[in-house]
Amino acid sequence: MSSNSVRHRGGGKEKAPATTPPQNRDAKPNGSVDGALDKMPQVVKSEWDYKLAGVIITALAFVTRFWGIGHPNEVVFDEVHFGKFASYYLQRTYFFDVHPPFGKLLFALMGWFVGYDGHFHFDNIGDSYIANKVPYVAFRAMPALLGALTVPTVFMIMWESGYTLPAAIVAASLVLFDNAHIGQTRLILLDATLVYAMSLSVLSYVKFYKMRHEPFSRKWWKWLLLTGVALSCVISTKYVGVFTFFTVGSAVAIDLWGLFDVDRPQGALSLPDFGKHFAARVIGLIVVPFLIYLFWFQVHFAILTRSGPGDDFMTPAFQETLSDNIMSAQSTGVNYYDSISMKHKETKTYLHSHAERYPLRYDDGRVSSQGQQVTGYPFNDTNNYWQIMPQKVIDPMDTTENEPVKNLDFVKLRHLVTDTYLMSHDVASPYYPTNQEFSTTDLESANGDRFNDTLFQVMIENGKTRQDLKSVSGHFKLIHAPSRVAMWTHTSPLPDWAFKQAEINGNKNLQQSSNIWYVDEIPSIPADSPRLVKEERKVKSMPFLAKYFELQRAIFFHNNALTSSHPYASQPVQWPFLLRGVSFWTQNDTRQQIYFLGNPIGWWLASSLLAVFAGIIGADQLSQRRGVDSLDERTRSRLYNSTGFFFLCWAAHYLPFYLMGRQLFLHHYLPAHLASALVTGALLEFIFNLDPEGLDSNFIAESTGRSPSKSSSKKGAGPAVGVEGNQIDRTGKRVVVPAKQRMGSMVGLWAASGGVLAVVLFGWYWFLPLTYGKPGLSAEQVIARKWLAYDLHFAK
Amino acid sequence: MASSRASQASGSAQGEHDLRRRNVSEKGENGSALGGPSEVDKKKEIPTKNQTSFPKILDDYEFLLAPLIFTALAFFTRMYKIGLSDIVTWDEAHFGKFGSHYLKREFYFDVHPPLGKMLVGLSGYMAGYNGSFEFKSGEKYPEELNYTFMRLFNSAFGAMCVPVAYYTARELNFRRPAVWLVTLMVLFENSYATISRFILLDSMLLFFTFTTTLCWARFHRLRHDSFSPEWFTWLVLTGISIGCVCSVKWVGLFCTALVGAYTAEDLWNKFGDLNMKKPTLISHVITRVAGLIVIPLLVYMFSFYIHFLVLENSGPGDAQMSSLFQANLKGTDVGKDSPLEVAYGSRATLKNMGYGGGLLHSHIQTYPEGSQQQQVTCYHHKDANNDWFFYPNRADPLYDAEAPLKYVSNNHVLRLIHSQTGRNLHSHAVSAPVTKGDNEVSSYGNTTVGDDKDHWTVEVVDDAASRDYSRIRTLTTSFRLRHTTLGCYLRAGNVNLPQWGFKQIEVTCAKENKPKDVYTHWNVESHWNERLPAGDPGSYKSPFLRDFMHLNVAMMTSNNALVPDPDKQDDLASQFWQWPVLNVGLRMCGWDDHIVKYFLLGNPIVYWGSTASLFTFGALVAWYLVRWQRGYEELKPSEIDYIHYGGFYPVVGWFLHYMPFVAMARVTYVHHYYPALYFAILTMGFVMDWFTKPLHRKDKRLEWAVYAALYVAVFALFWTFRAMVFGMEGDNKQWRHLKWFDRWRITD
Repeated sequence: MSSNSVRHRGGGKEKAPATTPPQNRDAKPNGSVDGALDKMPQVVKSEWDYKLAGVIITALAFVTRFWGIGHPNEVVFDEVHFGKFASYYLQRTYFFDVHPPFGKLLFALMGWFVGYDGHFHFDNIGDSYIANKVPYVAFRAMPALLGALTVPTVFMIMWESGYTLPAAIVAASLVLFDNAHIGQTRLILLDATLVYAMSLSVLSYVKFYKMRHEPFSRKWWKWLLLTGVALSCVISTKYVGVFTFFTVGSAVAIDLWGLFDVDRPQGALSLPDFGKHFAARVIGLIVVPFLIYLFWFQVHFAILTRSGPGDDFMTPAFQETLSDNIMSAQSTGVNYYDSISMKHKETKTYLHSHAERYPLRYDDGRVSSQGQQVTGYPFNDTNNYWQIMPQKVIDPMDTTENEPVKNLDFVKLRHLVTDTYLMSHDVASPYYPTNQEFSTTDLESANGDRFNDTLFQVMIENGKTRQDLKSVSGHFKLIHAPSRVAMWTHTSPLPDWAFKQAEINGNKNLQQSSNIWYVDEIPSIPADSPRLVKEERKVKSMPFLAKYFELQRAIFFHNNALTSSHPYASQPVQWPFLLRGVSFWTQNDTRQQIYFLGNPIGWWLASSLLAVFAGIIGADQLSQRRGVDSLDERTRSRLYNSTGFFFLCWAAHYLPFYLMGRQLFLHHYLPAHLASALVTGALLEFIFNLDPEGLDSNFIAESTGRSPSKSSSKKGAGPAVGVEGNQIDRTGKRVVVPAKQRMGSMVGLWAASGGVLAVVLFGWYWFLPLTYGKPGLSAEQVIARKWLAYDLHFAK
Repeated sequence: MASSRASQASGSAQGEHDLRRRNVSEKGENGSALGGPSEVDKKKEIPTKNQTSFPKILDDYEFLLAPLIFTALAFFTRMYKIGLSDIVTWDEAHFGKFGSHYLKREFYFDVHPPLGKMLVGLSGYMAGYNGSFEFKSGEKYPEELNYTFMRLFNSAFGAMCVPVAYYTARELNFRRPAVWLVTLMVLFENSYATISRFILLDSMLLFFTFTTTLCWARFHRLRHDSFSPEWFTWLVLTGISIGCVCSVKWVGLFCTALVGAYTAEDLWNKFGDLNMKKPTLISHVITRVAGLIVIPLLVYMFSFYIHFLVLENSGPGDAQMSSLFQANLKGTDVGKDSPLEVAYGSRATLKNMGYGGGLLHSHIQTYPEGSQQQQVTCYHHKDANNDWFFYPNRADPLYDAEAPLKYVSNNHVLRLIHSQTGRNLHSHAVSAPVTKGDNEVSSYGNTTVGDDKDHWTVEVVDDAASRDYSRIRTLTTSFRLRHTTLGCYLRAGNVNLPQWGFKQIEVTCAKENKPKDVYTHWNVESHWNERLPAGDPGSYKSPFLRDFMHLNVAMMTSNNALVPDPDKQDDLASQFWQWPVLNVGLRMCGWDDHIVKYFLLGNPIVYWGSTASLFTFGALVAWYLVRWQRGYEELKPSEIDYIHYGGFYPVVGWFLHYMPFVAMARVTYVHHYYPALYFAILTMGFVMDWFTKPLHRKDKRLEWAVYAALYVAVFALFWTFRAMVFGMEGDNKQWRHLKWFDRWRITD
């Protein structure tokens, strides 16, 4: 018995419950469609209500998203970033960002449409768009459009999944009247693209899944590929798209597992057939999306051909592919006996020395060598000039040898002004007892007993052996030869005895990335020297995949490094309860503010129904375990497979954030919120529509209704359906039971939905001034909106 | 030792019991995996009976003889030349030192629970060591310290792992050759042998992990005998074992999770068994809660109880504890001779009363962001930077040392002046560096320079000694400090600052008024004022449970601060992916020629074989699932059962011990893999057992040949790398031939 039930469970994961097949198979032959066709006319008639609701909802979505979109005419929150990126695209200057390019390219496209040249760089929140002549309304219209389209998509998901009209309306309204969705999609941000593509993925997959009785048909392929395309749009916008892949992937895996089953109700698939199914899904859901994903990077590289702020993130080889890159333009080979100035890469201070000496005793009682000070100094000064000498006994007169300095060479550095040589030794530095002091010594000892102490090795980062050292582009570490410490500096300034200049010391940890220096200038080269003349530099090229892998690595590295804190960052646990929002924008004169916050009533409702769903599933599992079967098989199948899929979608878009170390914001919850709205609609129907009779008829319609669609569309359809063939084709798949039939049982559901709509509307309306940024609110009005101690401005 | 003998003794009993029961269960659900071997055993028995009885005796007493031999070998591998290196090696510097604290009975603080370190202390006590050695890393042991004995004590735990592994493999139903394989893999595992040879916690952690697994396996085998005395015994033993493993290191929680997962599944099955009577079901739940939650918790708390009992003197860890706790330590200056009531002009340290709270601290370093003024933090180390003067506010006349004393009382507005730098405790509307929602607290100005943002209002919350809130009393008064102009409260909420703040605890001014938030409660800990008479405020005891909670929260906070600094690359640290493939080893000491060198590296065949078997097991499960879905019912229920408990649970154990280190952000080292390795070894035992079953039926000799080859390989590799275990003397170039890969830094 027990093994039997296990066996069942595997099969039960299939969306079509085990009891359906007879009907299904019966329905397949043309003749038996008749039974279903009897109901068709009614079904067709009952369609108008969905359509009407869909049109109204779409219209409302456009109104809510576009109303007052021009306000505020200033840079708001992260528009700073994404507006800037659009400008970079339009100016074709290379930039670096942790998100993939698709969403940003859309903005650039919009800017290009309206002829904007990208002159404004969105530097600060609150910069005026008017004064800077930015077509910001066009920019904002793009996400608003996608945000508006998200709402009918939600409606369609519910409709396609066979939920009743009120359920579909409730789910769509939770997104339609949600202040967070509205707020986030009216601004130049990526989330509108992300959420829309995510909802499209779910919709396409539902459509695809409904075609499962017609595998490899044209429509089947269409929806499979559309699912793939939508998925690739999600992941090409932000990497959280992985969660959408996971959601759809789990459903596909369960589906495939069912197809693999020999006891499959529709009959076993042969292994080659199964292989075809498998391969089709791999191509449609993995290969195609990945190629599209790569395509956006190709576009990205193709557009960004000029050097820009992102250069520093890339390797020199990459930078050489960008035109007018400073690094390659100013770079000159460094020769021995050149005098150079060296800059620390991280703090941008020059290696500096002056005639003053270290004090004998520091504040903490440690003693110094009292040698000449070597410090870091941020400004240009002749005391920054050092002559680079080869590793030999030095005759200062002999400067004939003009060999280039090479990687791993041992060099000596002569401070020109004081005529002393850079050295280090085993004396603790002023601030770091663990690090070595840097000082200088005179020629005699540099040639004599301190010969080794004045030797330094040049180690070029990622350099090849014997590679020439170049100014500006050659990043190197300067390693003290005998003691193997790296020349290093940091930001805390030395006391007054060193004129608050930076401390230079020897760092024992050679790996540290802050040990890097580069040659900034070579003042000793005469202006007319042939060394400065460069042949017309060719922009090099690099294979796409090499570029792609380099950028991909950099993105992952920097994504993980985004750990700094932000005043409005929040924790995942706060999101479903909507404990806190984000202040996007404020204006003191008018007391206006945009505070990014969901519709609390809608969110709390959705979150509590998620808990109810978990509770129902848990209770069902427990009672089944004790042999009590409180749900009929059909209701259960619906609850587990359809609503369960939405729940999985929510969990997959929410729970992984707990594992993330990076900075998180409320808007990361938006995809999960959309899924929770789906669960809410579905569950509302479950709770208020428990009339078994209604469900049964619903179910019969569902199971029979599916196949006629196939037969009607495939087999050319008889005259009876010919006129409205299209409609039948759609209605057939829609699991709709004539509304009139169910009216009796639907009163409760309609009433509940009406109640939900009313409170949701109230919540939406109450927080509107914070979402649209107008009108300004008085202190009492603000305080009235501080429901959960939301940290709103202008409360006083 | 005693406990191990006990387990052997009971092991023998269970062995006989098994033999008897096996025949019964053959028809039941658990038979066939055993069925095969036991049938063959019987066949074998018949001819041997007629001939000589000696092999039969050997066969019958294998369950005693084999572990005895293995254990003897284990003692050799773990103890041979154990005293060779007379310097403090690797983490002996930590754990030896903690052991010394028990001998000196000085209170110290560490991130690990106390049981393992108390055992180290016990070994020192038995060795007659007085606790005076500082255990500085690399330092030579003094004459009078019998470090060899202390190491022997530790290595005994490591050696006893071997028989435990033997019985565990038996309990998991492996056939004899596989049982031996598992045992030999544990026995000749170089990394286990090496790490067990020093004064470390790992041998104990491993031992208790092993015993927990054994108890769990035995308990599972007794499931058809529920509520029998033996069943209860093993339930209690499992509980005690869990308690011990968690009291050595918190890593033991992963082992607990394995038993927890098993119990959950077991109860879920029982819940679905409609034939089971409800009272039986309820008693099952209750016994599990009592045996697997209550008992471990009691063991864990008991270890802390002993810890507090032994450490009765003041020591380096005082500041982690509440002021009242400190006042009850011997030799502390907290509460001793401190004047009772605080007056203006008093110098005092302020202690945060939250769990794990430290002392209000400031130092000359400035905030790198925000106001860039002098940092104020909360810190557990006692130094002069924790001292603050109570000073009148700017509206009142300056403090005059000649004027009559004025006491600080509830609702007074005052200033706190940092005694080392002379700056005022200050807050302003600048957001704090980490907790951005709060205001930053800094030190600013001096007695004359400054503004009214230096003013704090004292709000007494409670006084343990008196109902009279008009005075602030040392130790007993808890009070909050409200910023007079901003209305926010001084708070230190166990959030660590970044490296620039030396990972000390952030101090903020919390805008919300939450009177119950203990992290805004402070008390005066040490108090100096020459003009006041000395008192003895420390006569109030702090309750055990409070101290216990306090210490555990403090441990957790310090654990969270152990995140790697990306700029400080540790030569010794390694990453999770390197462990299962044996990509790295670890140098346990300096690498000079005159030092006896130890290199922590596993036995390659054990590592690679066990890792491969994890994949093999995955493939095996996938294979049977796919076959099953295609309608082949190849496995008998008993075989499924065997895969489930003999294979699947060890793999789950491996996951539970391995995955946390993948996700964890802290610095990780090779020895973090060792508990997981044991489960991988068990998996290998299972996989070998499963795949040699056809061989067993066809040709027993071939089967033994396969196993013999493995035994020899395991031993030969151990022997090849023995120098790393027993200590390498002289020039490290001698072992160049062992450096199979560049990452094995055996030689330079």
